[in-house]
Amino acid sequence: MISEKRTSSQGRTAPRDRTTWHLVALLLLLVAVALVVPRVSGAAIVIAINVLLYAGWATSWDLLGGWTGQVSLGHAAFVGLGAYTVALFAQRLDLGLWVSVPIGALFCALLALGWGAMTFRLRGSYFVLSTIAVAEILRLVAINETWLTGGAQGIFIFSIPRLLGLDVFERSTQLFMALFFFALVLCVTLFVSRGRLGYRMRAVREDEEAAQAAGINPQRVKLTAFALSGALTGLGGAFYAVYLSFLEPHDIFFLPLSVQIALTAIIGGRGTIWGPFAGALLLVLSREMFRGVFDQANLLIYGVLILVVVLFAPRGMLGELARAAVRRRYAGDSRG
Amino acid sequence: MGHSSPLPGFTMDLTIFLQNLAGGLLIGGVYALVGIGLSLIFGVLRIINFAHGGFVVIGMYAAIALYGGLGIDPYLGALIALPLGFLLGLLLERTILARLVDAPPESTLLATLGLALIIQNTLQLIFGAEPKSVFVPYGTATVEFGGITLSVIQLAAMAIIIVVIVALWLFLTRTETGRAVRATSQNRLGAELVGINTLRIHGLVFATGLVLAMTAGILLIPQISVTPVITGPVFTLKAFVVTVLGGLGSVWGAIGGGLLLGVVEVFGASYISNGYRDTYGLIAFLAVLLLRPQGLFGRTVKRV
Repeated sequence: MISEKRTSSQGRTAPRDRTTWHLVALLLLLVAVALVVPRVSGAAIVIAINVLLYAGWATSWDLLGGWTGQVSLGHAAFVGLGAYTVALFAQRLDLGLWVSVPIGALFCALLALGWGAMTFRLRGSYFVLSTIAVAEILRLVAINETWLTGGAQGIFIFSIPRLLGLDVFERSTQLFMALFFFALVLCVTLFVSRGRLGYRMRAVREDEEAAQAAGINPQRVKLTAFALSGALTGLGGAFYAVYLSFLEPHDIFFLPLSVQIALTAIIGGRGTIWGPFAGALLLVLSREMFRGVFDQANLLIYGVLILVVVLFAPRGMLGELARAAVRRRYAGDSRG
Repeated sequence: MGHSSPLPGFTMDLTIFLQNLAGGLLIGGVYALVGIGLSLIFGVLRIINFAHGGFVVIGMYAAIALYGGLGIDPYLGALIALPLGFLLGLLLERTILARLVDAPPESTLLATLGLALIIQNTLQLIFGAEPKSVFVPYGTATVEFGGITLSVIQLAAMAIIIVVIVALWLFLTRTETGRAVRATSQNRLGAELVGINTLRIHGLVFATGLVLAMTAGILLIPQISVTPVITGPVFTLKAFVVTVLGGLGSVWGAIGGGLLLGVVEVFGASYISNGYRDTYGLIAFLAVLLLRPQGLFGRTVKRV
């Protein structure tokens, strides 16, 4: 317990008083979206949905990848599991979103616990490789078990009951669902990162052996972070299913989606509250901008940006900003 | 779809068994070639190269461009494409990876991931997203050995792979530079202390790995079709499976892992289910990662 207190007093980047400002920023974002939405065209709404969706996914990913330091390139597994659960439970079993979405998130948490219990013994690159393998196996199952998933031909989602009286297939309803998803993930991250779990996660990230020596159970911390990260990503997947209203294993379980989720957080800044959101803003907007130029090759921009970040700003956009700010404050005293 | 019976009955099924074994070994040889490159790069540069499947695909499109555009036979075209690939490898190592030598392993992993995305998407911009292949006139020729039918181009590919592996082995064991490569992989600091320019060795090994992967691509393109965005990740994964089966960083392990993956895929597809063909390798990969992280053929435990 004593050692834990010491860890927390050292975490100088996370004073409690700043939480309020994050909440104010989130509130401003909500107000801005609510004001702007009725006035914009369909294309802008779709872009806004994509920004919020990717921001939510990247923030969820960051609980494991940024705060706990376990890089996963398999998060599409949770997107797919959440999406297919909703498709099957809400449509085929007619259970509605209020029941099927939590079930999807629960399945994702269980998958994360089982997956993590197996693979967290692996370190570094080996762990990354195992996450890819697990997601790939799920994709192949989704393609082959046609009776359950509709196979490679996919599954249409057309009959989902109204949500609070709103048609879930309307783009404006979906925008609010995306906003809710992002706001929820952000609040969870804010809450977790300021609490005891957050300090334990950072301790595990910085030095697992030292954390263990300080009385932290790294396996349990990593499993908690993974389950939380997976459940939230699956929640986004559930919403994604409604947004797409058509699920195809190839799109939703595939490695490029995992890569995009991870890179959004990394480019924006791992282990920062708003980094993943900044990453989503940058990536979705630049993808839109270059869509005409690059046509189908829109991941080119991800490739270029990740190289730029790795070579010139290893902490990501906001990570570098935060470091610069800390440096200024402690004038010379490094290690932000 | 092959046989559904898990226990093949004897006489007739022995032929099928041998046919599958031969087919598995032939495709496994190509996997081995891809895996050797990845393993060499890991062994010397200590990076997991996510762009490796992209290098295979570069080889495939080089053959397509030379054959479709200029009418040059893919095997002859290799003589033009591979030296260019070597230069590309040197360039990539110098401009990107050399700057990350002392960065945490994650940075190089992400850099190669970015490189993979750039390769795939650039190829897609140039060649389009639709599947492409090369049809050589001798592509359908087969020979028969006691009831087993084997494709001539697959046999030729295997012969070429054996020559390449022997040449690589001679290079690594019989030349001064080869010894420097092995020294660098065993102990970079020690190698530097005895006067080896390890940065040059890094460039050489990365470029060699790229050329080996490209060679595999050129050997494969008369047999299978290619799409930039899908084929790249598929071969990256296969290369990982091969090297993990054999033990990361071990060249001989990669050969064993490649042949094993080929056989496992073909047998799984034939006796269990064709739809799950790519799953067998991944399950074997996970099992080996969890139970024997040093690889099936590895001796020492290496923490990465």
